[in-house]
Amino acid sequence: MSTGKSTSAWRYIGQRVVQTIIIWFIIITLNFIIFRVMPGDPRQALIGEGLSPELRISVIERFGLDKPMIEQYWLYLVNLFRGDLGYSFSHFGEPVIETIFAFRFMNTFVLMGAALVLSIIIGMAVGVFAAAKRDTIVDTGSTVTFLIAYALPVFWIGILILYYMGFLWDLLPIAGTITRGYNHVNIIDYIFDYTHHMIGPLIVLTLSFIGGFYLIMRDTVLDVFTQDYILAARAKGLKERTILYGHAMRNAMLPMVSVIAVNMPYLISGAMMTEYVFSWSGLGLLTYNAVLSVDYPVLQGVFLFLATIAVLSNFAADILYLYLDPRIRY
Amino acid sequence: MATHDPVLQVEDLATYYYLGDRELKAVDGVSFSIDAKRTLGLAGESGCGKTTTAYSLMRILAENGKITRGSINLGGIELTTLSEEEMRKLRWKKASIVFQYAMNAFNPVLRIGRQIVEVIREKGDYSKEEAVNIVSELFDEVGLKPERQTDYPHEFSGGMLQRAIIAQALACDPQLIIADEPVTALDVIVQNKILDLLRKLQEKYNLAVLFITHDLSVVAENCHDVGIMYAGNLVEVGNVEAVFKRSLHPYSYKLIGAFPSVVGPKKRLEFIPGTPPNLMNLPKGCRFHPRCPFATAKCATDVPEFREIHDGHFAKCHYAGELDLGGGA
Repeated sequence: MSTGKSTSAWRYIGQRVVQTIIIWFIIITLNFIIFRVMPGDPRQALIGEGLSPELRISVIERFGLDKPMIEQYWLYLVNLFRGDLGYSFSHFGEPVIETIFAFRFMNTFVLMGAALVLSIIIGMAVGVFAAAKRDTIVDTGSTVTFLIAYALPVFWIGILILYYMGFLWDLLPIAGTITRGYNHVNIIDYIFDYTHHMIGPLIVLTLSFIGGFYLIMRDTVLDVFTQDYILAARAKGLKERTILYGHAMRNAMLPMVSVIAVNMPYLISGAMMTEYVFSWSGLGLLTYNAVLSVDYPVLQGVFLFLATIAVLSNFAADILYLYLDPRIRY
Repeated sequence: MATHDPVLQVEDLATYYYLGDRELKAVDGVSFSIDAKRTLGLAGESGCGKTTTAYSLMRILAENGKITRGSINLGGIELTTLSEEEMRKLRWKKASIVFQYAMNAFNPVLRIGRQIVEVIREKGDYSKEEAVNIVSELFDEVGLKPERQTDYPHEFSGGMLQRAIIAQALACDPQLIIADEPVTALDVIVQNKILDLLRKLQEKYNLAVLFITHDLSVVAENCHDVGIMYAGNLVEVGNVEAVFKRSLHPYSYKLIGAFPSVVGPKKRLEFIPGTPPNLMNLPKGCRFHPRCPFATAKCATDVPEFREIHDGHFAKCHYAGELDLGGGA
């Protein structure tokens, strides 16, 4: 019996792996096509008006842009698997892989990771609490508060924080990830400085994320509370804690897993607006600048990376579901 | 019958729900008792207070439900005055429930065995292995393969789930089992098997059973005594034979008359004109009087007393025992 079950689970995982790979190939192909059919000529941005025709041609040849489309696609694939995403137009010919991963990815990952973890924890904790106290002032109060926070434009809160906490009260740094020109004594000093810079964008992002997690948690817990098996658990005289964490939480976690998986690409792309307002040098700010400077290789690299993360996190969510909900067998 | 204390003694129980400032009298003045090895069937239409009575016994009412009056004595312990924590410790140890929809009564994401082990270990001092062994024995007892305890609820059929629910109900050796429509969701063949199993286990473990159903034929075949409920009142209680053949309350008589008989001549089924009253706006006097063919002026003003008419046969009607209900003694 149990071996039969695990075989079917493995077969399911195998199917999902194959699907994921196919989807990923479709995405990288689209990623190639989009940048070729988009209006505007990237070469224009790269080369500029003042160059001689000879130089112009040699640059085009160097980037392989004179080759037939199908050959360009083949080169794109081959280079991709060698970890070569081309060279940035705007960052002095730096390899795109370095533009993305040298430090920007870490900056975004740390900021967004902290914001997501914080908002998931607070959202879930308050959501369960509000559900347990439904229709009281606690419940209505937190729902209204989080909805307002959810609805406020991030750039506006960002500017308010910068103006009051950064400028008027001098509590927070105005921009960047570390203090420019300051030599850090040791790693602790560095982490402290970095965290200090992160507080502003972290508040903004957490405020904007928390509402979604809170509402979903509150609603699912309310729904789970009305289920017969919760009444049965009460009739069995189990402890309140066992009922909440042993029976209700796990069922309420199911929709949360999807929501978190859908939010994963944010973790990487960062909130462009927030990074821009706080000059946080992450992938969001990179994307923004790449658009402005028509830096196609960087955009292509960022999109590719995002799509990969999105596909992978969905795959991870499916596998997690398999563990959380035994009813799922395809 | 020797004189002894019944397992469950309910006196004048009243449970109200509060909707804003309005009061819904779901159960109002219900009294009955059940001895060990006896089964009391509680029957009546939907919404008459059967399930609220059952949930009151376990004190697992919704937040807006309150026991406002009366006493519940289970195995010598008065339940209505216990603190919530004391009550929690008694649940399942003294009384357990066989739920109607077994599929929903088990948590879908936890293995069935684990859900029974959980309550065994909560109520008694057992190691995990001991609890697993108890579950194996229980599974064997209810006709399930012990190795199936590692399955999830969705891997069981309806009948198997009902057996597992019964195994769960027996897990902590209770004195009373409340069976809330235990077979309503099952087909007739499986119904009979489950009912036979319940009877067998009742005999073996000296259980008192409160059997809640709207199916009078199930009551007739499975219960020793029967209580008929109408609009939150218990209108008649007595042994099955007496209540079915010599009904004292017009409602019981009509309700029994509204059920087809498999044996005997075919006849047109009777029905009771009108609908049950709104529990938030009950008629004065006897709650059944607007639908009762025998109602008099007195019925519209005075609430009848719940009294013993014959030995062990109670009814809540001014004219109980005087009416000619045609049952034929």
